[in-house]
Amino acid sequence: MNENIEQDLQKQLRKEAIRRNWNLFRQSKLGMIGLYIVIFFLFLALLQPFLFITGIWNKGVYDPVVGYEAIKDTLLVVECPKEYPTEKYESMKDCPGEGEINVKRLYLAPGVEVGDYYEAFIQPAPPSSRHLLGTDSLGRDVFSQIMEGSQVAFVLGLLSATLGVGISTILGTIAAFFGGRVDAYLMRQSDLILMLPSLPLLFIISAFAELKVWHLAVVLGVLGGLGGSVITIKSQALQVKVKPFVDSARITGGSRWRIMFSHVLPNVAPLALLFMVFSVTGAIASESVLSFLGLLNIDMSWGIMIYLSQTDGFIFSGLEFWWLILPAGLAVTLLAGGFYLVGRGLDDVFNPRLRKR
Amino acid sequence: MGEYIIKRTLQMTVVFFLFLVFSYLLFNAIPGNAFSNLLLNPDLPPDAYNRVLELYGLDKPLFERLQLYIVNFFKGDFGYSYKSFPKTPIELISERLPRTLMLFAIVNIVSFYTGFFIGKILAWRRGSQSETWITLTSVFSYTVFYPWFALMMLWVFGYKLGWLPIGKFLYPEKWYDAPFDSDIVFSSMIKFTIVVSLIQFAAYLATRGIESLSSRRNLRFASLIAIFIGSYFYWNNGAALIKKPYAADIAYHMILPVMVVTIVAFAGTALLTRTTMMEVLKEDYILTARAKGISQKRIRDRHAARTALLPVVTSFIFTIVTIIDGSVLTEQIFSWPGMGQLLLQSVLEEDIPVAMACFSFVGVFALVAHLLADISYSYLDPRIRIKSQG
Repeated sequence: MNENIEQDLQKQLRKEAIRRNWNLFRQSKLGMIGLYIVIFFLFLALLQPFLFITGIWNKGVYDPVVGYEAIKDTLLVVECPKEYPTEKYESMKDCPGEGEINVKRLYLAPGVEVGDYYEAFIQPAPPSSRHLLGTDSLGRDVFSQIMEGSQVAFVLGLLSATLGVGISTILGTIAAFFGGRVDAYLMRQSDLILMLPSLPLLFIISAFAELKVWHLAVVLGVLGGLGGSVITIKSQALQVKVKPFVDSARITGGSRWRIMFSHVLPNVAPLALLFMVFSVTGAIASESVLSFLGLLNIDMSWGIMIYLSQTDGFIFSGLEFWWLILPAGLAVTLLAGGFYLVGRGLDDVFNPRLRKR
Repeated sequence: MGEYIIKRTLQMTVVFFLFLVFSYLLFNAIPGNAFSNLLLNPDLPPDAYNRVLELYGLDKPLFERLQLYIVNFFKGDFGYSYKSFPKTPIELISERLPRTLMLFAIVNIVSFYTGFFIGKILAWRRGSQSETWITLTSVFSYTVFYPWFALMMLWVFGYKLGWLPIGKFLYPEKWYDAPFDSDIVFSSMIKFTIVVSLIQFAAYLATRGIESLSSRRNLRFASLIAIFIGSYFYWNNGAALIKKPYAADIAYHMILPVMVVTIVAFAGTALLTRTTMMEVLKEDYILTARAKGISQKRIRDRHAARTALLPVVTSFIFTIVTIIDGSVLTEQIFSWPGMGQLLLQSVLEEDIPVAMACFSFVGVFALVAHLLADISYSYLDPRIRIKSQG
């Protein structure tokens, strides 16, 4: 009976704390903007499987990797004049104009005369009501690719951040709690990790291992978890360790591990959560950089979309093919920025000195 | 303090030894290398093949090779590059390193300064409309997908507007009948930059004691103008006049990378300063200063900003640690022939002696900078100094 009441009380207290923190978080404008961005991309990531399962989207057309739709367009065949300006065209750039095609480009199609109409597939196709962000150079739907990319980003970011922060929190607390040789070993280990140049290291790893999303998440998580964040978590744990409640727990006979896990760790957790949110930003950026350089064995991600638009030469064609260049780059930037802003908002909640009042 | 430094140095030596072993084994794990690619030449007779392997000591077992490598490493012998044979890794690095350091020293100083300035103002104007917008812009440039952003900037300024060159270190056609090497011109540019920044730094130190904020600013501005006039005379007289067009060519190629990296890098400092400054503004002594009736600007610049500078300086030192690592992507995109490009190329081509030399160079650089950061931090923050003594 008594236990039940205590449990209820605890539950209520916890609810109260969550509500209080949520109210604090809501006050920070930047944090809310970040939260909206993250929710938007989460919605995109979940929307795609829903659309496939309910059959609103046909898998053959909208699949981000193997989908294909040929978009036909009828073009008027014209012959470009040798000298400019003429009545129709101001300069060389205006010919062929909209809905027209130069006859010289059709040398592979015999029997086409000037003045005919010629049916052509357009790839990449500009945005239309069927393809909200158009198609890429292989006729695949860009909007669906963005959705797939956000799934990859969420899986990779959250997995590697959780793994990394889990490792660094436990190691940092151990280093602070045991001190001495364990501390020295762990600190020098993080020195060793910090010494390695990260991008070339990932290059070497990708040279002898086929990196998929899961592998990359583990590699990034372990490298991030053993690196610099251990030092920061340790300094936070050192501050908690000298607080009076830890001493009183020791006096009442709590074992070392119990004190560590049930008294010190919960007080380090807010900082760890903060770190996690910030390291999601880093993980998303590294995945995009690696895919951008063509080193990952992933079917589709935002980095690969930019990589493809670069290798196909669209990135230097300016904004004529904006739907191939802007969405992917903006998606990476926005999601990373969203997580960063959420982290800033959480910082306001956990660090009382940052609050407005 | 002395005991602390000795202890750290000993630990660092052990860490560096482990680092060498680890990176050697890592490179050994990659299947094949540039050297074995050269040996695949079918015209090579089998006994010559074996002799070359023996000459380079590549037929020995792994453990023996590792031992040899480490012994030779401490003798200062890094072997020869596989790809550009007669050159040693040391020669390659000493050619490439100044270019990277020059580029990123300018970027870091500019971005640190502007970032600190903007962050200071952001924290001061907390809650206003402009603060939200500037912070959002800074977050955007902090988290922007860097290669994409750099390529877009290249497209805008290099291709569409045509104002700036698309990557590279210099225009080769301008250097056909140049009387000297590009490295000589570049080293005189480096000397010039160092002298100029030392003069400006000295002006800062000299004007530090002046109480009136406006006259201090005017004096600093005057020294800046004096530097401009002085450098105009320097480049138009004597030996520097011949070098001027070539130096201008290199400087012209530096503008775009410096600009792009600064836009990306200043935001980190600005956001960090904003946070620390917000913490400082809550302190009691700021309230006291306000109660005393000191002007707002003076509180911001002399009371709050100087305390907020501490963590920012630490992060600045840690940024210096990552210069070479961070230069990899930038130099690849702008085809800037620096240390980062050398590191990346040697890893991709599996030119192992060069890659190992680059790795160990980055390692030594990082270790020494970490030690310096720890020592300087304990001087800047008295709380840590007490702890290390006790």
